[in-house]
Amino acid sequence: MPYHRGICNFCGTGCGHLLQVENNRVRGVYPLPGHPLSRGRLCVRGWHIHELLQTEERITRPLIREGDRYRAVSYDEAIDFAARRLKNFSGHEVAFLGSPRASNEENYLFGKFARAVMKSNNLSLSSDAGLEESARILLEGCGWPAMTASLSELRQADFIMVVGGDLTKQNPIIASEIHFASRSGAFLVTISPRRTQMARLSQKHLRPNPGTTWLLLEALARALQTEGLVNGNHLGERVENASQYFEYLESLDLKQASELTGVDEKEIVGLARKFYESESAYAFYPVGIQSLDRRSMSALFNLFLMTGKLVRPAGGLCPVTGISNLLGSLDMGVSPAFLPGYLPTDRGDSWKRFEELWQVRLDRWPGKSVGACLQEDQSLRALLVVDHDEEIIRQASRIKELDFVVYFGAYRNAFAGLASVIFPRLNYVEGDGTYTNSERRVQLSQKKVEPPSEIRPLWEILSELAGALGHPWAYKSAEEVMAEISRTVPQYSGLSYDKLRASLGIKWPVDEQNPGGTEFPLAGEPGRRFKFIFGRTREQLKGLSSGFEDRFPFKLVVGRSNYFWHQNSVMKRTFIPKREYNALLLLYPKGFVEISADDARALGLREKQPVRIVSEAAEISLAVRISPDILPGMLYIPYFIEEMVSGFLHRQVSELEKNEEFFLPVRLEKLE
Amino acid sequence: MYWLPGDQVKLLARRLAESYSVYGPRRDEISGEVVFDRLEVPERLDLQAAIPYNPPKHVLFPHYEEILRYLYERDSQKVAIEKIDKVEPKALVGLRACDLNGILCLDRFFLWQEFVDEVYLEHRQKLFLISNTCVRPFPQCFCVCTDSGPAAREGFDLDLTFAGQGYLVQVGSRKGQKLVEELGLQPAGPEAASLREKIVDESVSSFDSFALENKAWVSRATNRLTTGFIKPEVWEYIGNQCFECGACSFVCPTCSCFNVEEVNRVDGQTDRVRTWDSCSFEGYTKMAGDHNPRKPVEDRRNKRFFCKLSYSQSKKYLRPGCVGCGRCARVCPGDIGLPNVVTYIRREITGE
Repeated sequence: MPYHRGICNFCGTGCGHLLQVENNRVRGVYPLPGHPLSRGRLCVRGWHIHELLQTEERITRPLIREGDRYRAVSYDEAIDFAARRLKNFSGHEVAFLGSPRASNEENYLFGKFARAVMKSNNLSLSSDAGLEESARILLEGCGWPAMTASLSELRQADFIMVVGGDLTKQNPIIASEIHFASRSGAFLVTISPRRTQMARLSQKHLRPNPGTTWLLLEALARALQTEGLVNGNHLGERVENASQYFEYLESLDLKQASELTGVDEKEIVGLARKFYESESAYAFYPVGIQSLDRRSMSALFNLFLMTGKLVRPAGGLCPVTGISNLLGSLDMGVSPAFLPGYLPTDRGDSWKRFEELWQVRLDRWPGKSVGACLQEDQSLRALLVVDHDEEIIRQASRIKELDFVVYFGAYRNAFAGLASVIFPRLNYVEGDGTYTNSERRVQLSQKKVEPPSEIRPLWEILSELAGALGHPWAYKSAEEVMAEISRTVPQYSGLSYDKLRASLGIKWPVDEQNPGGTEFPLAGEPGRRFKFIFGRTREQLKGLSSGFEDRFPFKLVVGRSNYFWHQNSVMKRTFIPKREYNALLLLYPKGFVEISADDARALGLREKQPVRIVSEAAEISLAVRISPDILPGMLYIPYFIEEMVSGFLHRQVSELEKNEEFFLPVRLEKLE
Repeated sequence: MYWLPGDQVKLLARRLAESYSVYGPRRDEISGEVVFDRLEVPERLDLQAAIPYNPPKHVLFPHYEEILRYLYERDSQKVAIEKIDKVEPKALVGLRACDLNGILCLDRFFLWQEFVDEVYLEHRQKLFLISNTCVRPFPQCFCVCTDSGPAAREGFDLDLTFAGQGYLVQVGSRKGQKLVEELGLQPAGPEAASLREKIVDESVSSFDSFALENKAWVSRATNRLTTGFIKPEVWEYIGNQCFECGACSFVCPTCSCFNVEEVNRVDGQTDRVRTWDSCSFEGYTKMAGDHNPRKPVEDRRNKRFFCKLSYSQSKKYLRPGCVGCGRCARVCPGDIGLPNVVTYIRREITGE
């Protein structure tokens, strides 16, 4: 059974693996030694990807809904049917949900189909909020949308800060790199209310009260200022608003910040000093479903800017993506905010460029995310969706009301059941495609097995649909799509399949100046301009209290579980990860809520006691799990119980969409 | 002992390919690293390559394997069970001594106890094993601490030792003797045995210069693990660094734990599938009624090292369960491969 080199398709780390293929089936997996990031390691998910790749729960034929049933049809019939229906909708009436698991080529064409063929700018990903926010902040602050650092030099770092989430669960191999860096001498600090495994591996763990992470980060900046550790002149004229930011900081009282965050002032000052003195400092924060919030991202950016650490040839800000091609999907412009290559949609010249490149007229109206369309837009009538493998279907009832839903997917799942027409899609080992990991590394995943005969690549299906709608597309392969991407996306201009075949990934920008990719894009660019990102006036430290402490005294935080990742249906098709998930479910069939030992004692709660969690909008019953990892006053629910997610959290959609530091004010009632 | 000129290794591989699927070390063309893999082209066999990143375990104990298939007929209420017969004869060429010892440990588990595993037996009976002495150790190696290298002592059909222009060939079985004769290899002369001994001795004494990644004071750790005197804090320190990925078990040449699943196929049949499993998973030891004797991660780590190094476990394998290949140290995201764990145990003993 020979091993074939490939790229793991689960999270945004993009580890290298070897897939064992026999009789056209993937029979085993092994870590790829010598991969520059994963260096021969895989996590529990990566070690079981072959189980997923053997599932027979595939969609294998195009299907058209007839009443409550689906009828298998030929491709021609499905294309014809979909094209005839799509002709009836104007651009404003259609929305497009891209997939962070799909390749760059697929996402690029999906976006082009939306904008150039359907004249719709309602185009987004399902879990993009955090990454898009991060890109906006970085673009505004330094004109650069993604990770400013590279992980290749991480083991030489002397300061690493991990803010929010739990990287050991979300991106275990990046967490492992951080752990190795810490073992070779880097000072590792975790900032998170919950005592995560990352926190246990850190030399220092600062635990801000839920909702105050941003304040703690601003307090660090304030401490730099009070200690006279501001490196304000290092960038001189290049920073647009330094004096305004320092003025803004002066209004922050360290003592008050210390009280509100619950972190000792000495700790804040000590950490600020340690950070200032470091040669190469990295900060990691999660983006995606369980993203760091907007204010914390901005505060973190400001910290790096004011100490001059953004332009060092080592270190920087590292937004970490939770799904394989989340970054690539945004690179390809699957967003209402950006055309491919981060060209902002609110500028006329962005549109003009793509009108010229695509030789087509584009409608320049501002698009919305799919979530926003479903929530606010009563004129929405049709939805096109690629591989939505999360069980969470926001606004499912609204989707059911739509006139027409097209689903392109590899596996049978809940979303496919909402579709009017279903097109089977290749899984990632059945065709070629590139995927871009958190550190901007573009990697080619090559075809390893023949797909079932009735399944076609997405580029081919979209080309046929475009043709049927009067836009003949001539793509003959994913490689040709990449050739077009290299002409239209500046960051990818130096990429080709030939180049990618001979490498283990290349970090964008890849262009004439950087033919081999770029490690630290901000270093050695004397012309780049910077800007601190902050609100004009200091917000009244609000949001730190919910205002209803009397009725809802607890702050509920939601987190990720190692095995049931993103609440997606993908893990259910494996054996071992599924078993591990079931082990938790057997213990806590209705899910659990973690509470500190202090609070449990005060409320007289015992292990596994059923309780009710009540928020303003919803309630749910769960079992108690007493945990040493939880702060008093805080509750924690892992993000993996179907009922919890769709029945409880999704009623809090407005909270989730805001991308503020997310906690829900709740109360806890004993169930007798 | 016989003599195999260096330029005739390809001949040997080609000859084996006539009756076997040939497996051996090959270099990955892009990453440059060595994988123990089926060689589509026998000429890709690279006996000078470093110790492969993966052990040969997957050849006789696959990561994922259907072990039987059945069909339940609803109408007649009958079950038709079918044996899945697809085991092909395989030649494993260029096995490092640690990996050969790994196979002998797997034999102990699958064949030499009360129950004989027929699926494994079939793989095993159809193997042709050729070991390859490590004339110089690799950075990760510590087989001298686990008594499993750098040269093989038993279990091979043929054993090769590189000596300048070719290989000294030791015969370990009748099958091996037959192949040597078919290839027309010449006897290596009266000095061969002492030459091999000298090469192996030199290799052993060069561990201090080349095998610098790991040191494992296995005998002291064995003593300590067996008596159970290791403080819980040591296990907690180790447990905190465990990412629960299972890699240590999957890359271990001797780890034999497996999971069994019934997979319903679309055509109505059900496959019984055996897959690798690992004691680092919480679900592995979970029992009915919510009981889990090893729920905290540190207890699970504790179990693994007990299995690898304790005396009671070694009695089963007739040797330590660790063969000193150093792979677990390379794949571990938490940097708690066996050599590091032994170091922490040793530190506790010596109070350093």
